[in-house]
Amino acid sequence: MLTIVFRAIIIYLVVLFLYRLMGKRQLGEMQPFELVLTLIIADLATIPMAEVSVPVLHGIVPLLTLVVLHFILAVLCKVSEKFSQFVSGKPVIVINPKGIDYKALKDLDISVDDVFEAIRGCGYFKIEQVQYAIMETNGKMSILPKSEYAPLTVQDMKLNVEKSTIPINIINEGKIVKDNLGVATIDEQKIMEILKKANVKRVKDVLLMTVDKAGSVYLQKYHEKYQTFNIEPLGQVEE
Amino acid sequence: MTKWMWFKAVSVLFLVGVIIGICVLEDRLVMKALNAVNDTCYQIELAIDQNGGIVNGQVASLVDNLEYDWFKNEAALCFVVNHKSTEQLGVEIVRLKTYIDEEEEIEFYVSLNIIKNYVETFQHFMGAGVDNIL
Repeated sequence: MLTIVFRAIIIYLVVLFLYRLMGKRQLGEMQPFELVLTLIIADLATIPMAEVSVPVLHGIVPLLTLVVLHFILAVLCKVSEKFSQFVSGKPVIVINPKGIDYKALKDLDISVDDVFEAIRGCGYFKIEQVQYAIMETNGKMSILPKSEYAPLTVQDMKLNVEKSTIPINIINEGKIVKDNLGVATIDEQKIMEILKKANVKRVKDVLLMTVDKAGSVYLQKYHEKYQTFNIEPLGQVEE
Repeated sequence: MTKWMWFKAVSVLFLVGVIIGICVLEDRLVMKALNAVNDTCYQIELAIDQNGGIVNGQVASLVDNLEYDWFKNEAALCFVVNHKSTEQLGVEIVRLKTYIDEEEEIEFYVSLNIIKNYVETFQHFMGAGVDNIL
């Protein structure tokens, strides 16, 4: 049984390394060849893990071979547009201003119901609300609504609003996140000043503190309600 | 190229190297072990012909050598070959010793031929020919 434990650890580490090497795409965003690879890897990894008579290398070698093949395919897809289209296909317009393109549906082997399901998933319940619907190569549907049904934006309203900034974690579960201090252009002395302003004595009393470039602070102590306040801006907010 | 891209490229090259290394290692280990068995089998046959039977010191000594060499090489083979595939060979080698003790010459020849056939089949099976791949 100890053999199986060690085998499981080895294979887990190898598969983890290989997935990291392959990138961060999520299941729904995979291209066809990536999905195939994921399914095969899952299957290959379990064989030597459970079957003690099979050498671990019998599981690892095909895994490594597939990842190398995957890398070569990915490089070829980047180099050649035609090859990329051959392997992954190309986006297809299934709804255009005239309505549903039936020929495109036939080519994709999907039904009108599938199109309805996809556009409902994007928040539109009538075909006439959609200007264009595009079936992407990863199987997801992208929708461009007609102008009259598009969500209202700040630009449409011609409003002046504050520029968006990203809150940066400065204290996380009682510890200063030192990697983020440079990004937020803040030092420990400044942090202590902010804590003093919020009547917090020690860093380890803070569950979460974030600041953004505009100087907006979110601070929550353990087992207490959060507080928000502003300090002087930490820098120029980028467009 | 970013650092991550360099890391990926180096990793993939490393993986190619590992794959090639394992393939070469497997070929060498298996061929070394099987050739040793094959050679000893022919030496045993020769010894039987020279001595006119299986019950003599030379054959017993060669079978002992065969057993020792095989179990020594089998440990290394376990890294690259399925244990179940090599199990039969070990069993037949052990049987050879029993047949000498029992003076069962026909069974001895049967086992010796099974071993030779196994070696020949496995050597064929190891090659990366079209028939094996498909």
